[in-house]
Amino acid sequence: MAMFARTIRSSLLETRATLPPTFLLPFRARITTVSHTLETGNVPEPLIQSGQHISKDLKSKIQAAKDARASASSTLSTSESSTQSRTDETPSPLTPSIKKLLPLLHSQPAHYLTLHIHGRPYLLTKGDTLRLPFCMPNVQPGDVLRLNRATHIGSRDYTLKAPEPVKGTLDAPKRSFYLDERLFVCRATVIGVESEPMRIKEKTKRRQRHIRRVKSKHRYTILKISDMEVKSLEEYQSELERDEERIF
Amino acid sequence: MPYFRITLLRSAIGLPSKTTGVLKALGLRKRMTTVYHPVSPDVAGQIMRIKELVDVKEVENAMTKEEIRDARRPERGYWVESRRGEVLRGG
Repeated sequence: MAMFARTIRSSLLETRATLPPTFLLPFRARITTVSHTLETGNVPEPLIQSGQHISKDLKSKIQAAKDARASASSTLSTSESSTQSRTDETPSPLTPSIKKLLPLLHSQPAHYLTLHIHGRPYLLTKGDTLRLPFCMPNVQPGDVLRLNRATHIGSRDYTLKAPEPVKGTLDAPKRSFYLDERLFVCRATVIGVESEPMRIKEKTKRRQRHIRRVKSKHRYTILKISDMEVKSLEEYQSELERDEERIF
Repeated sequence: MPYFRITLLRSAIGLPSKTTGVLKALGLRKRMTTVYHPVSPDVAGQIMRIKELVDVKEVENAMTKEEIRDARRPERGYWVESRRGEVLRGG
């Protein structure tokens, strides 16, 4: 326990050394940037209060924005699907908390992302090697993939989270939420294919001497995260504007 | 055209073979399978025989097995930005 406390203290001291001046970082360490991706107006009051430790003026800002937002429409880039099918949503309103805290998140380099491939999460940073639990079809070593589904963007002190997924029922399909893919750029290079050692399983039947030996040797694709970049607020805003122009 | 969406919630193990036969006729093989049948008196009668085992809802459109699978599948989460050859040509 004592060791743990010491590591925390030393890590705090370290951050102080590496971070920009303190006036840029008014609230320390306890803030999380939860994106109110559901549009601030729709988030119930207790959720806003409980989800994260935000300062009072930010809370009042959210309250003010809520009233303003009641009339304004939000741009939701929802993947098209019927009512029956599972929906994967990447809503992208520029909420006040993103406006306020994205610069802080951006100012702390070495970010991590929780990226989802085929619905499974992988917590990755730049330079990581990832052995996927399957052999990816139709790719060769040297191909560059863009990973575009993330639920967390984090640095040492700040985390931008997507809303929790909503479990599906018989009537309503599962809804999972991802961060807006314009917030970050993540490239992965296919390095190659790895294979596990051959496994031999002995299958026996009763009252028979014959033993069947089943061989299995699976192949796994190896990825390396070659590029991971979190957009700054200005870049993100300009991208949003560009996309809006394209729509209208 | 309306359809019955029938989902088998409880298995028919230990039940009379007539019940199992009704399930087989409806196309329900194991628990949590879902089938769609057009709303008709015949199907309604079959459902009545196994009403304790299934969940029934009337829906407007039927889904095929492939459609149900696709609806459950999560997003892929990646796309191929450049192939190996393209990179070589570019550089």
